[in-house]
Amino acid sequence: MVDRLERLTDLVLVLLRDQRPKSLREIASEVPGYPAQEGEARRQAFERDKRTLRDGGIEVTAMPIDGPEQVGYVIRPEDYYLPDLNLAPDEQAALNLAVAGVHLGEPSGRDALWRLGLPASAGARPVAELPALPALPALHAALRARATVSFDYRGERRRVDPAQLRFHAGWWYLVGHDLDRGAARTFRVDRMEGDVSAAAPGSAVLPDGFDPDAALPDVPWRVGEGALVTVVVRVDAALAALVLDEVGESALARREADGSVVLHLEVTNIAALRSWLFELGDHAEVLGPDEVRAGVLSWLEAMAGVPAAPEGL
Amino acid sequence: MAVRADAGSRLLRLLAVLTWLARQGRAPVSELSERFGLEPDELIADLELAACCGLPPYSPDQLMEIIVDDQEVIADLGAELGRSRRLTAAEGFALAASARAILAVPGADPDGALGRALAKLEAVLGGRGMLRVDLREPAHLAVIRDACEAGRQLELHYYSASSDRESTRIVDPVSVRSIEGHWYLDGYCHNAQGMRRFRVDRVSTARPTGEPACHRGEDAPPDDARDSAQQTEAFVPGPEATVVHLAVDDDAVWIVEPLLTSPPEPRADGRTGVTLAVASTVWFGRLLLRLGPHAEVLDPPELADTGRQAARQLLDHYRSAPFR
Repeated sequence: MVDRLERLTDLVLVLLRDQRPKSLREIASEVPGYPAQEGEARRQAFERDKRTLRDGGIEVTAMPIDGPEQVGYVIRPEDYYLPDLNLAPDEQAALNLAVAGVHLGEPSGRDALWRLGLPASAGARPVAELPALPALPALHAALRARATVSFDYRGERRRVDPAQLRFHAGWWYLVGHDLDRGAARTFRVDRMEGDVSAAAPGSAVLPDGFDPDAALPDVPWRVGEGALVTVVVRVDAALAALVLDEVGESALARREADGSVVLHLEVTNIAALRSWLFELGDHAEVLGPDEVRAGVLSWLEAMAGVPAAPEGL
Repeated sequence: MAVRADAGSRLLRLLAVLTWLARQGRAPVSELSERFGLEPDELIADLELAACCGLPPYSPDQLMEIIVDDQEVIADLGAELGRSRRLTAAEGFALAASARAILAVPGADPDGALGRALAKLEAVLGGRGMLRVDLREPAHLAVIRDACEAGRQLELHYYSASSDRESTRIVDPVSVRSIEGHWYLDGYCHNAQGMRRFRVDRVSTARPTGEPACHRGEDAPPDDARDSAQQTEAFVPGPEATVVHLAVDDDAVWIVEPLLTSPPEPRADGRTGVTLAVASTVWFGRLLLRLGPHAEVLDPPELADTGRQAARQLLDHYRSAPFR
């Protein structure tokens, strides 16, 4: 009984080696471990091996050949090898350190270094941990192929020409041109539902001058399409320095004698602003405009009126 | 018989070992075993199997020659097998994102070796400039990282969101890292006499005391310690954290998503059931304010009123503060 690993290894070597498509009969004569009898069992074993290779990123190509079987199989070198990267030793070492220093879930960058034949070391304490999401590799592959993507988002099918994948303030975003809205949009990758599908390579065409860096604001209260409102917020002395570091000095309207600061925040998403404000507890207060302050007060009044011990859950 | 990895992953691992060997020619078994995360006997078994593969090849340059003994592997595999292989989408993403993340660490040199390596990778893989990682730079990050690298003790003014208080702490820094968008300092806190985790953007001043750090992480928290919510929320809580169950409207689940200790569960009433660990009533009250009418505390009953109390307290503040 030939080990399946041995059969798979042989199969890869045989399909790579001679660079001409081989019939299943030829393959079975060169690769030990397939059923001796021609027929369905051998065919199924081969199909299963092909799937295993494809799952591992090794593409077996079928092509027409002369002879009774008519179909031959080959692993094309361009599907298996990368063009030489010509990495200098210090560049290899830097990639290795980067992979060891970043936690991204499985499969890791370490697997990638292995495939490139580069040194990979394990066990370093990571410098950065980024959330790993199942949609990210497919989105990245679509970006590289310049392919239009579609996915379900908040119960709606969206078609987007992707421009950038961006990790910002704790979340992964896709930035792109929304084909149905005809405008730039950003999407939280963790809120995409189900699989991302990609159209043909080259199908995505971004409008001239599309600037992905401008599409995603630095602060959460600018993520949204509401009307622009300048909201006046006072932050007390305890948190003034920390909040100024976060929002930037340009938002500073004035400093008070008690050490508090008054900020002018340009807001298009009031819900996001409210969420940020409440994280600061009673260290922050909306001063105006009136309708925004009233909105915060009515939110709080509604909450304060909740029965003390909710019954009948 | 021990459970072994399936044939597909073993194949990929073996091909990785062969690529490496094709380049190196020879390597100690111990080095290969460590580098590729394989037990030595597993590695030797797979290599002996590979030595039988590809035979009989039909010309000498196609011969896979592998000699394995207990100490060392010597291989003559030809240049072809040593070439870089194509990456899967997941691997290509992981590699590019790792490099981008390290280049986003404040102080990284975009024109250094890593920047050049990434440019070469992106030239071959495509996607130049299409992946961006932002890691913010809080005001005191540089001072804290320098002190950590040099092993110097720090005095911090630190705002704790769980206690809603600022305190002065003497800390021996052990490590500084960015976790899901925020920078954290892990260090030995002399005031608490134990390892604590601090969010760097809540440090209002940081100053070296002039003393060397005497604790260097010998009792560092395990890496999975961050799995519970408050570990990424300032101080590492003690075991006294309370497990809280909430029912949350679907469109507000994003607020609690980063804090969950287990996957959210759909409920019969159409809302989502979530579980979090709560170590501070102040912090929990503010979380409930953010959720507003979109959440209800199911358990424990003594926390059911926390949101209402937080709302009343903040309302009192609004009504008493001078309106300007």
